[in-house]
Amino acid sequence: MQYSQVDAEAKAVARKFDVVVLLSTFLALIAGFHVHQMLVAGDWSFWVDWKDRNWWPIVAPIMEITFPAAVQAVLWTRFRMPIGATLCCLGLLFGEWMNRYINFNGWTHYPLNFVFPETFIPAAVVLDIVLMLTGNWIVTALVGGELWGWLFYPTNWVMIAPFHLPVEYQGSLMSVADVINYMYVRTSTPEYLRIVETGTMRSFAGGVTGVAAFFSAFVSVCMYVPWWLMGAHFFGSTKFFKTYESASTEVKHA
Amino acid sequence: MAQTQTTATAVARPPLTAFSWKSAGIAIGALIVFDVLINVYERLFALTKGLDYTSADYETYWMSMLFAELVMEAITAGALWGWLWMTRDRALDRLSPAEELKRYWALALFVVTYTYAAYAGASYFTEQDGTWHQTVIRDTDFTPSHVIEFYQSYPIYIIFGVGSLVYAMTRLPQFAKAFSLPYVILVGSPAMIFPNVGLNEFGHTRWFMEELFVAPLHWGFVTFGWGALAILGTWLQICPRVLALINHIYYGKPIQSPAEVMKDPQSSCDPAACVACAM
Repeated sequence: MQYSQVDAEAKAVARKFDVVVLLSTFLALIAGFHVHQMLVAGDWSFWVDWKDRNWWPIVAPIMEITFPAAVQAVLWTRFRMPIGATLCCLGLLFGEWMNRYINFNGWTHYPLNFVFPETFIPAAVVLDIVLMLTGNWIVTALVGGELWGWLFYPTNWVMIAPFHLPVEYQGSLMSVADVINYMYVRTSTPEYLRIVETGTMRSFAGGVTGVAAFFSAFVSVCMYVPWWLMGAHFFGSTKFFKTYESASTEVKHA
Repeated sequence: MAQTQTTATAVARPPLTAFSWKSAGIAIGALIVFDVLINVYERLFALTKGLDYTSADYETYWMSMLFAELVMEAITAGALWGWLWMTRDRALDRLSPAEELKRYWALALFVVTYTYAAYAGASYFTEQDGTWHQTVIRDTDFTPSHVIEFYQSYPIYIIFGVGSLVYAMTRLPQFAKAFSLPYVILVGSPAMIFPNVGLNEFGHTRWFMEELFVAPLHWGFVTFGWGALAILGTWLQICPRVLALINHIYYGKPIQSPAEVMKDPQSSCDPAACVACAM
């Protein structure tokens, strides 16, 4: 009886620490991942007309495989938990929706179907599954990284397809997304800054998305490796540096 | 790694009430209420009083708020960090296990409050700044959204982050005689986002008036934001010691003394403890 009471107390205390660790980690990942994402790929995330078939499938995946790789490195190698990528992307989606709903829509009245964010959840689940099945981060980089780049556009297609329908507007052929952009002025992102459908890749015509995804998958593989290593050996490091006063005499003399 | 182990026969257990959520609940609750009120203030006065930097209304509603918050933040930071330092434990090598575990709980609540504040600053208010810039023309670096984002939400998380680090260094043997690499990154790197505002504002003033969010001018924020990942290493340092304390206090298992942890804090971060914890 006495032991079971002590045991229950110990478990209660341990569970409380578990909750704090999980909650604080989730919040920190939202903070870091979201500020990273919005400033390296954010414009494509903010606006539906930026969600094009050319640059969006390249920029978004290669910049957002970063945090998932780093978190996988710690959660898998230390805890055998294959949820690192999904956890990151869930946090990112939460951070994005909080602002899109409350501010973009609630404050400045952009319609939600103009400012909804992309999702990486399906690609993240696949990345986690590849790591879980192979147990090998190199294979995950090669296979999971490729799938990460390839899956991004198809898994978001359901949301953006209606906005890519062609319409004729004042004698010009435009997409529905372009017309929405035309109607809702973005004061600080004028048209000359819009990085959409530019470059000679357009010469691939209907094949442009496949080429973009192919390239994106390649760079995603390349990005995964340094970020895994940074997660494992830098951000997940348990290194301490001793202060001068606590260093040994030999070290001080050296 | 060589360790001197001591076996306790009867270890005092802290009362369960010592592991209350109350202080974090009050702190985070207060921050949430404050953030909501700030949002309401912004909705009331940003578009009505905050579009002309040269107007008297701007001075009243926004510049006075800026000066007031900067003064309050400096006073709060000085008071909190100073109090933590002045009341530091000077006999950490004699810290009892029960007291050490209670202090780790206090640190954990400090950290979770910091991460909420970091979320509010780096995620919510930073993207809200994008919302604002898409709606108005940039006429001043001290535009209403910046008064809240840069000069309010960022200093708030810095105060909590540095405060938690000072708490750990002044009250826990593990952090008393050595600098924790991940913990310093966790606090220091996001803190550098605030000084980086100087670069951002100079750049926007000198050569880049638009708000293309992916512009290289913004990448300093990105790099410093990566430091949030160091929460992984920070918990990897803390959790094994917490687990050892729980095992010692409740199950009588041997543990390193505080003096040994102070001498070699690395030895208290047994990676195997993580696996045991997960199991």
